[in-house]
Amino acid sequence: MIAPMKFVTLVVLRDDREQVLQALQKSGCLMLCEREGAVRADAEAAEALRRMEKLIADIKPYKPKKGLFAENPQVESATFDTPQAEDLQTAEKLEELLSALAQNTQRCKQLADTIRTLEPWETLSEPVEALRDTVYTRFTIGRIPIAKRAELQSLCEQNDVHLQAVSQDETSAYVILAQFASDPPVSLSEIGFEAVTLPLQTGLVFRALADARGQLEETQALADRQTKELQTLAESTDAPFLLCEQYRAQSDLEDAPFLQTTETAILEGWTPEKRLKDLEKAVQSVTEIYDLSARDPEEGEDVPIELQNNHVVSQFEGITNMFSVPQYGGYDPNAVMAPWYWLIFGMMMGDAGYGLLMAVLILILKKLMKPKGETAKLMQVLLYSSVTTILCGVLFGSYFGETWHPILFSPLDDPVKMLIVTLGIGVAHIFTGLIVQIVNQCRAHHFADAIFDQVSWMLVIGGICLIFLKPARTVGIILAAVGAGIILCTAGRAKKGVVGKITGGLVGLYGITNYLSDILSYSRILALSLATGVVGMVMNMLAGMIQGSVIGFILSLLIYIVGHVFNLVLGLLSAYVHDCRLQYIEFYGKFYDGGGRLFKPLSINPKYIQIKENGGN
Amino acid sequence: MSGISIAIIGAALCAALAGCGSAIGVMAAGKAAAGVTAEKPDLFGKLLVLQALPGTQGIYGFLTAILIMVRIGVLGGNAAELTVWQGLQFFGAAMPMAITGLVSGICQGKAAVGAIHMTGKQPDASGKGITMTALVETYAILALLTSILLIYGIQL
Repeated sequence: MIAPMKFVTLVVLRDDREQVLQALQKSGCLMLCEREGAVRADAEAAEALRRMEKLIADIKPYKPKKGLFAENPQVESATFDTPQAEDLQTAEKLEELLSALAQNTQRCKQLADTIRTLEPWETLSEPVEALRDTVYTRFTIGRIPIAKRAELQSLCEQNDVHLQAVSQDETSAYVILAQFASDPPVSLSEIGFEAVTLPLQTGLVFRALADARGQLEETQALADRQTKELQTLAESTDAPFLLCEQYRAQSDLEDAPFLQTTETAILEGWTPEKRLKDLEKAVQSVTEIYDLSARDPEEGEDVPIELQNNHVVSQFEGITNMFSVPQYGGYDPNAVMAPWYWLIFGMMMGDAGYGLLMAVLILILKKLMKPKGETAKLMQVLLYSSVTTILCGVLFGSYFGETWHPILFSPLDDPVKMLIVTLGIGVAHIFTGLIVQIVNQCRAHHFADAIFDQVSWMLVIGGICLIFLKPARTVGIILAAVGAGIILCTAGRAKKGVVGKITGGLVGLYGITNYLSDILSYSRILALSLATGVVGMVMNMLAGMIQGSVIGFILSLLIYIVGHVFNLVLGLLSAYVHDCRLQYIEFYGKFYDGGGRLFKPLSINPKYIQIKENGGN
Repeated sequence: MSGISIAIIGAALCAALAGCGSAIGVMAAGKAAAGVTAEKPDLFGKLLVLQALPGTQGIYGFLTAILIMVRIGVLGGNAAELTVWQGLQFFGAAMPMAITGLVSGICQGKAAVGAIHMTGKQPDASGKGITMTALVETYAILALLTSILLIYGIQL
């Protein structure tokens, strides 16, 4: 069902606006809409929100890894309202630590670079300034690959260059070249000589080196201390997360559109009829001076919808919403879809053992993860479907891939019989869709359309099905002929001219191929249930092959566990996807358009924390 | 050539070709998913589902191969005596799954790449992407069904 909605106009004093909005955000019952001329508050929190999100990302490496099933920290509703000074201090402290640490890490890198450049020249006994060019001599310092050293030597001798080796490592030799300033410079780069500029103007290299080493050690120690401090602080505080959520809520508030006059602010939006009281209570908690009026939606307005179904059906809503949200004033298909989804899912899995395993695993996961929102709903759907899975498993005698006393028959031994059953399910499913459309048409007083477009096809399909049953063959032929006649005569009724009407009728009758492919599509139920069964059987067979010895027995246990869990997960994914497809294309194609949008009220949706309600609000 | 060797070639091709199709499809989807994950690590779970979708063909091919092996008794240890014609029948029965598995696995991989890119831009639309990708699989399922019905229809 789609809950009735009201359009609300709320007038409050300008000064009260912020507080009223905050109260409304807490109660989460108003979806604001934007009118021409609407203004917004200055976006101040958005910047702070970005800052906190960056901080959260930055401190992530310093926080201990959260377990897979860890819960978000809880925060009292009352402390959530305004950012606390101490939290802000903590966040600032974290930011300072992070930036200081980044600086020190950078400094360490620089020092290490300096040390690497100076090291080969450590043994140089002259100060660096002694290597500056003089009036008569030109000095060049640099390195040469070891393999080219001899070549350099001979080149130097030829050109009257004095060569002095300083040191040597695995790849290069470090040398000083001295030459008369009056001689032309010798080009050495071809043989791989590379000139080096020392990061040092004056003084002795080994002193500078010792200095740099000392500094590096010091900075490294400082950085280590800061890392430790950061780790302890990041581990002990939830301040960045709390602040992030507070700024997010604040930013949402600032983004709320409103109209304003000199003294008042006008808020407009949608609320479900039954939550009107909550809305009024929220406003009253802030101020006595307000004016609240609510009206029904007008024709042609784009009304957001809230679905209102019983607990079981509401779990299946997400499946419809993924396809398309129902329109306001339209038809909510969830109540009809849910039992079919449930049944078809069970048939696709079709194994009592897997059904049981599914139920146990989901119950454990629910206990550990405490899922919320859509995930929780999906898990609930799977939990419900485990019942049909067990049921189908017992009916068709499948237990972890082994066939054992089927009540009806085993699909593996008699796939054709199973194919007929699945196609029968398909016909029933499609008929349900057509009946829903007939009801919709009758509600809209389009009785003729219902007979021409839906009843006729039900006659044709029903008739064809009856033809396959020997005693009812004549009845079937008559029904199918009547249905086909109706379609031939009426499918072109919207077309102009005689030719248009005739071709329209023929084209309409051609639609039988669509129905045929729709019904054949349900054969996937057989294919998927066989796939689950046979892969399970193969796992059992593989495990059985190696069960000769003690080690073999232990290995076979491993194959049983890994194999069946793998098969279960794969089967679940396939069943979920293909069950959805059958609903979306074969079933919804007959009667459902959707195209609405969901009611998303102004509310607090924390990602990193949980808010604990403590009475009030 | 004896009948049983022809049947075995059919079963082998079925597992091999469908497996290749899935491998290519999953590889293409995996590359796209890795690219999206680099930018948005939070989407990993959603993308993994999309990447896994083209993997089913390989399983269907494997399944068909096993069914042929069971039918001709290779797995049980006492292989049936097949005439050449019966062997050819098994070979033919394996072909729908082998060929469609190869082609549809690759095609579904391409559809999955599109869906993964869409999920990267609009994480909420991943459900729609899954549906679009799953439509390709219909033909693999029909081929699997044809192969299974043929394998069980062969008179021994």
